[in-house]
Amino acid sequence: MQQHRELSEQQINVQLLNGTLATPRWWKWAVLGLLIIVLAGFSTFGFMINKGLGVTGLNRPVFWGTLITTFVFWVGISHAGIMISAILRLTQAEWRRPVTRAAELLTVFSLITALSFPVIHAGRPWRIIYWILPYDFSRGIWPNVRSPLVWDPAAIGTYLTGSILFLYVALLPDLGNLRDRTVGWRNRLYSLLSLGWRGNSRQWRMQTTAGILLSALMLPIFVSVHSIVSWDFAVTPSVEGWHSTIFAPYFVIGAVHSGVSAVVTMMALMRWLWKWDNFIRPEHFDALARLLIVVGTAWFAFTLIELLYSFYTLEAQELAFRDMQIFQWPWAFLFIVFLITGFFIPVPAWLFKRVRNSIPWMFWTSISVNIGMWLERFLIIVPALSRKQPFVYTWGSYHPSLTEMMMIVWSLAFVGMNMLLFARFFPLIPLFEQKEAQAFSSRIQIGRASVPAVLREQEQE
Amino acid sequence: MASNITAAPDHRPTFQEAAGELVSKVRAGSSASRLWLMIAAALALVGLVGVIGRIIDGYSDRSAWGYYAAMVSFLLSTAAAAPMVSIAPTLARASWVRPVTRVSQLFASVGVVTALMHIPLMFALPPLVEEGVRRRSIWFGAGAYTPHVWGTIAIFGLTFLGLALLWASSIPDLRAIAESGEGRRQRWAARLAMGFIGTDTQWKALRMRIGVLGSFYFLFLIFTHLVFSADFAMALVAGWKDAIFPMYHAMTGLQSGLASTIIAAYFIRRYGHLERYIELDQFWAMSKLLFATSLLWFYFFFSAFIVFWYGRSGPDQATNDLLVSGPFRWAFFATFLMSFVIPLFTLMFNPVRHSIRGPVIVSFIILGGMLLDRIRIYVAAWSTTGINDRYLREIPATRWPDIFDLMVILGTFGAAALAFILATRLIPAVSLWEIQYSRLLTRPARFIRGHALIIGKPD
Repeated sequence: MQQHRELSEQQINVQLLNGTLATPRWWKWAVLGLLIIVLAGFSTFGFMINKGLGVTGLNRPVFWGTLITTFVFWVGISHAGIMISAILRLTQAEWRRPVTRAAELLTVFSLITALSFPVIHAGRPWRIIYWILPYDFSRGIWPNVRSPLVWDPAAIGTYLTGSILFLYVALLPDLGNLRDRTVGWRNRLYSLLSLGWRGNSRQWRMQTTAGILLSALMLPIFVSVHSIVSWDFAVTPSVEGWHSTIFAPYFVIGAVHSGVSAVVTMMALMRWLWKWDNFIRPEHFDALARLLIVVGTAWFAFTLIELLYSFYTLEAQELAFRDMQIFQWPWAFLFIVFLITGFFIPVPAWLFKRVRNSIPWMFWTSISVNIGMWLERFLIIVPALSRKQPFVYTWGSYHPSLTEMMMIVWSLAFVGMNMLLFARFFPLIPLFEQKEAQAFSSRIQIGRASVPAVLREQEQE
Repeated sequence: MASNITAAPDHRPTFQEAAGELVSKVRAGSSASRLWLMIAAALALVGLVGVIGRIIDGYSDRSAWGYYAAMVSFLLSTAAAAPMVSIAPTLARASWVRPVTRVSQLFASVGVVTALMHIPLMFALPPLVEEGVRRRSIWFGAGAYTPHVWGTIAIFGLTFLGLALLWASSIPDLRAIAESGEGRRQRWAARLAMGFIGTDTQWKALRMRIGVLGSFYFLFLIFTHLVFSADFAMALVAGWKDAIFPMYHAMTGLQSGLASTIIAAYFIRRYGHLERYIELDQFWAMSKLLFATSLLWFYFFFSAFIVFWYGRSGPDQATNDLLVSGPFRWAFFATFLMSFVIPLFTLMFNPVRHSIRGPVIVSFIILGGMLLDRIRIYVAAWSTTGINDRYLREIPATRWPDIFDLMVILGTFGAAALAFILATRLIPAVSLWEIQYSRLLTRPARFIRGHALIIGKPD
């Protein structure tokens, strides 16, 4: 199935730059609304700094709550970019083309958002420097470089740097295009950013090579980031439910599930807001849904194996923890919601072609996945810490406070606002990818049928 | 067609040439294949003697069955995983895979050997409850012989599904064989073709059957790896709790299944003179997947290792001692080298991937690594004592193979090769209909000054 529509290069430029060279009417109101929430979030953060972490629901022994949950959630979302851009580029999946830029962008902004959560969670953010630099030579206190908590910022920082580079390299041809269509300060900005792009064959060759090399180099970083996040938990034998060898791939596959779903959400929004029906077509949703069926099922299999092996030893403490996590209020309710929204609603729905090709259905099922995936991280972190451990003599229950809730809302608004701001200055769908897709598409005649086809360049033996 | 694309001369075999050549290969068989068949049969016979010797030797010493269990696992991880090479890319509608789909599916015939070898092993596996004490297992409170039952269901079920998949995907070729003349082979092929004459409905049903069987095969393969790795390895080692191990078992199986397919494709291409059908493109594409699975080998291993190494609890350290740093470290380091380091530093270079000999040599190395990996895991696991303890108190010494073990190892290779070669004598080693389909959906073309292929993507 290909719903490809032949457009001239001029038409592609006009339609895809409709949000960049002109301001849509809704854009200002949307940015304003999100800005208000973002400012409210910053004010809440200021309030937290002023009053201390007591304003959160954190309570001995639950020292990691929704802030860390949201950190893990956004790191997971960041896996969208490389999954869509790098892996699908290396596998030459044609349907990736309209989605790559938005996915890469989502990676960058979700990583920035994710990085801010440990800072918020620290309560006294300026003290974070002590984790990284040795500060008290006289007492011989050194940062523990063997701790995954120190590996985390290193991995995320590398991933962020690589993702920005990845995004920028892919943006160069479009920046050249924008430079030639603007005047004044915008023209000067695009001239500076486009690094003298003229679109000659040498530049195209280098741009393509850089894209492939960056794709290959980013893959190990992509895998390492969420693996390291998972080791924050898995290398701790003392907390029931955390010390599991499957955590690294389980977190990575979960991240891909949630990241690709977030891309689906974003694609639907882009299609509705900028009216890009010619570029983001049901066939793209169909292809992403097929990918999500595989990813979602693999993730569910990992979930089941993780649960199976938590029961394996039949140790009383582990059983008691799982009993609490799965059968006791309120965790039982959250557990059911997590399974239903993360797997049982979306994946069976995607088995139907009609759902895969329906944009509203895809939008809501992708939202459902991310509700489930946030709850999954919450259920890994909080119930495990809520259980009474040996040598812990005070323990209470954890209730997320309004302050923490506000920070979650802030994070969603922050990412959304940044995406809209970016879209005002740069195209969200790569123009050159659309033109290349047209050059590489063809049809072949088989009997009386005309079959859509793609072109693959070949090396001769 | 876009203006930059122009038609190019088509040097591929015509429909008639392909039909004649591929069907005649089944009819005649080459002198080389007869020679390989005899060698394989002789080795299988040696193996059979080894198995009988092992059974006569008895079941009282469980550690004597370690190498035997390793070989069953080796077959499960190579031959049983090989059909996945055709299933996954077919579901993803990749066109490069068509010439090698049959090569990978023919490995399903080796499932018969795996299933037969599993029978004596079942008697060597201890029950869940011994002297009133129940050991840890994924079956919790179930009956004492539950692992035996489910292990058998898994392995026999997988064999059945594999053979069903091989049969379903061979139906159009069986019809072609049936129509190629008169004789015993033709009558047999006509019976198995089940009245297939190539109507639209039959083709639709065929594709659906292959898709459904392929999906079921994949699910059953994962289930079999889960059951076999848990019951025949992990549950025998006190304190070994490793949630990623079944996935490691399955993933390394995919790597070896791919390596097996590459090697088989090379031999079929070379000795079957099928160079016009199995081309460089197939080796190139498979070597990319081999590279990816080699990276995953390290990832899955390291994910478990770091948690044990960092956790430092008694059971964690004992497990690492047994499998990585203890008496079997020679096997671990050899595996590490052969399954990860060598593939990584060879396949990362495009000239190696974009060749035929390169991926084949690396595949042989990977299979060597897989054999040592399974020996490291299964011989170590079957050599331990005190399986009902909380964790492993004593790390067993390295157990070297005795004469029966060596015979079983040789025999496993021989029996697997025998089953595979026999299958190629009944069914074309390159799928005739896939080749014709591929020819129908692809056209060589010139793109500006370069060479290109136009690939049709129907619904």
